[in-house]
Amino acid sequence: MTLEQFRQAAFDAALALGCESAETYEVSGGDFAVTVLDGEIDTYNSSRSFGVGLRVIVGGKNGYAYTELLEDAETLVRRAMDNAAVIENTDVIPMQGAQSYPTVTPPAQPLCGMSEREKIDLALQMERLAKDVDPRFARAEYCGVNSSWTKTGIYNTLGLCAEESSENGSAMFYAIAEENGTPQCSGTYRSGVAALDSAAIVKEAVEEACARFGASPVAPGDYPVVMRFDAAEALLGGFSGMFSADAAQKGLSLLAGKENTRIGADCVTIIDDPLHPIDPSAFDAEGTPSVTKTVVENGVLKTLLHNLKTALKAGVQSTANASRTPGTPVSVSPTNFYIQPGEKTLAQLLDDMGDGLLITEISGLHAGLNPVSGSFSLLANGFLVEGGKLVRPVEQITVAGSFLSLLGDVCDVGNDLSYETYGCGGIGAPSLRIKSLKVAGAE
Amino acid sequence: MISQAIAGRVLNAAGETGGDFAELYMEDAVSNRVSMLNGVVENAAYTHSCGAGVRVLKGTRQVYAYTADTSEDALIATARAAAAALEGVGEGQDIAFSAVDYGKAPLIPSETVTNDRRIKLLRDGTAAAKAVSPEIVQVSASISDSSKDVFVCNSAGLWVTDKRPSARYYVSAVASDGTDMQTGGEGPGRAMGFETFDQFDLCAISADAARLAVTMLHAPECPAGNVPVVIDGGFGGVIFHEACGHSLEATSVAKGNSEFCGMLGKQIAASCVTAIDDGTMPGEWGSIGCDDEGTPAQRNVLIENGILKSYMIDLLGSRRMGLPVTGSSRRQDYTFAPTSRMTNTYIAAGTDDEEEMIRTMGTGLYAKSMGGGSVNPLTGEFNFSVSEGYWVKDGKILTPVRGATLVGKGSEILMKIDRVGPTMWMAQGVCGSQSGNVHTNVGQPRIRVSSLTVGGKGDAL
Repeated sequence: MTLEQFRQAAFDAALALGCESAETYEVSGGDFAVTVLDGEIDTYNSSRSFGVGLRVIVGGKNGYAYTELLEDAETLVRRAMDNAAVIENTDVIPMQGAQSYPTVTPPAQPLCGMSEREKIDLALQMERLAKDVDPRFARAEYCGVNSSWTKTGIYNTLGLCAEESSENGSAMFYAIAEENGTPQCSGTYRSGVAALDSAAIVKEAVEEACARFGASPVAPGDYPVVMRFDAAEALLGGFSGMFSADAAQKGLSLLAGKENTRIGADCVTIIDDPLHPIDPSAFDAEGTPSVTKTVVENGVLKTLLHNLKTALKAGVQSTANASRTPGTPVSVSPTNFYIQPGEKTLAQLLDDMGDGLLITEISGLHAGLNPVSGSFSLLANGFLVEGGKLVRPVEQITVAGSFLSLLGDVCDVGNDLSYETYGCGGIGAPSLRIKSLKVAGAE
Repeated sequence: MISQAIAGRVLNAAGETGGDFAELYMEDAVSNRVSMLNGVVENAAYTHSCGAGVRVLKGTRQVYAYTADTSEDALIATARAAAAALEGVGEGQDIAFSAVDYGKAPLIPSETVTNDRRIKLLRDGTAAAKAVSPEIVQVSASISDSSKDVFVCNSAGLWVTDKRPSARYYVSAVASDGTDMQTGGEGPGRAMGFETFDQFDLCAISADAARLAVTMLHAPECPAGNVPVVIDGGFGGVIFHEACGHSLEATSVAKGNSEFCGMLGKQIAASCVTAIDDGTMPGEWGSIGCDDEGTPAQRNVLIENGILKSYMIDLLGSRRMGLPVTGSSRRQDYTFAPTSRMTNTYIAAGTDDEEEMIRTMGTGLYAKSMGGGSVNPLTGEFNFSVSEGYWVKDGKILTPVRGATLVGKGSEILMKIDRVGPTMWMAQGVCGSQSGNVHTNVGQPRIRVSSLTVGGKGDAL
């Protein structure tokens, strides 16, 4: 059975069995990945995948069922209807009708147009070039390129037909450097045109690893901090769930009811822009046309992120932040979500701080960060800063605080907005100068 | 799932370009999940996934291709896609398969359970959590149960099947005083059918989660410093999982990217430490009949009285390291090539008195339950969060504290364990690594670490 035949069979069965409406969320994709080690292919992956998520509305309730086997549409419909029958939540979850969408132009992904041989050569080239960056480079923990395509389609019996394709081509290099038998490591990820610049990728990874030699903790205490863009980005990503109206309506976000009140310093403006050229999308997972919105404007919370259900409940319009995978129910997520950059360079932020810490990496976010309580206590790496200059690398410290206090304590925002961590949209942040954070480390 | 004739053709197609080993993995998985928020059923979902992966090895080079389409044509095409990555010529062969079934049918298979049974458990658990305190403002609970049929065959004639049921309850409670919010959660589960829930008192477990949230709501922030730390059993075992377990996987060791490379037979932990990874424990969350390469599950003693005895090794790791496989090759599903992973991993029971550990620790932290954590296997740097902590002063528990994080290096903390209690217990987790998310148990008795960096934002207590 083809996808189209399966979809039609499911819709026919759903309507015949008494559903008010039915929708399929279909995702198919292909993926190619190769890694190299010592001048040879190490691993090679190639794949094709697809899945169909069915949603039915029956008696005003949503029910879901997912399959990767296109055989028996009616059984799938019955599964979804069984699931709808047990829902007790009385929230109305509408289905989007027919819409028209803006045309979006995704960024160039030259890697996706290359032959497999060319992709393999690109990976080999990274490994070769790394050896010239610094004699302390020992080997690559990971050296590879990846290309993928995804096709998403949302169709329903109300006439919705939303289709989109996207591609991503990326290179990743994870360098291990050694000095006196001690290893240090650092990784760099690039997608789009930047993925082809092997020299820049390996230079960044190797230099960052080498800069960490001789790292040690600092004494515990309160330190003025500059969070470099990548660390700021990871923190913003970890707490992005607080901006979900779904979390707020369920009593799981400290931002509930805080619209039009101050939640951060004047210099903090946060944008959610699904149309941003770094990774544009014309619609969300419910088929609502994308809209750009200012979430926080000069420190004031302007809106939470909504899908159709939360918007209806709050009496506002959906902000086109519905998200889902084919196998899971609709939820809310940010799209391209970033802190608007300011004027100053990282060097100027450090100068302004004088003495303190530059934090370049935070880890353990899934455990040491709680979006419900808004607090964090995280392993961090970085540099000790004196008189605006990096004095020595710092490791094995923790930084702790609360996200909302931190937003209020932002003194200045850098001009170096980056999407480093995700590389292809998602969360972005510039470097942030912060009044102070609590630091633990060995005496 | 497939005839031997078709499997033979797929494996031969995979070997067309001179790979010395070809493997076909197939799975068919069905799962159900019902979630409840404050006593109201929020969502119910059913998923059916199936697919196949073909792996070809040539020496230590690995090629993997997968497909959601399991027709013969698609399998042959997938095998050819994998073969195309190698340059050479292979000879077709007749493979004589010998079949072994490692699967045991669960008592109550997921597919025979109707949603009303799931909902009943969720309702009772939610009520028990709510009853703990008026400060409990929110309780979310869910039941996930699934069954997965796994099949692996390879060019060496292996033909195995396994059955992997699993069932888990998860509850999260939020306590609030109007401004502040704290959470508590529990997630008991088993690699069994729905009979899993006869083994747990879900009401008592839900109440524990709620009590934790309330306790933390009234707890001061944990002070920062370097102090002795007592870590309880159960999920406290995450300390070993992160600080040491990952660094003993062939994934890290085979390429020299672990601080424990070349340490077999050497002391890497205090002599009171014996650690085991055991995939054979009946019905336990991390247990498997066979691993995802078809090797039967094993009990592997990793560390014995402080001496490193074994790594956890998959086929590719075995080729790289020249050591036998250990039944440790796992993957989330067919979209991942398998690699070395943990199963049920724990520090074995010792002989030290649980009360004495606290009485003689001076000032420090008693970590009664742990959140998750992560590690960099290369440097051994780990971090994990303490979900329920108590500050100890002069050997007496002073107050609960919130927001504590423990950081350190694996090789250092293992040497600093100075007490190991007499009773080991385990807790369930989902471990994410190269081959995706797999179910793992962590465990240990109560232990003491003589000194650790504790992160927190509180003032001195």
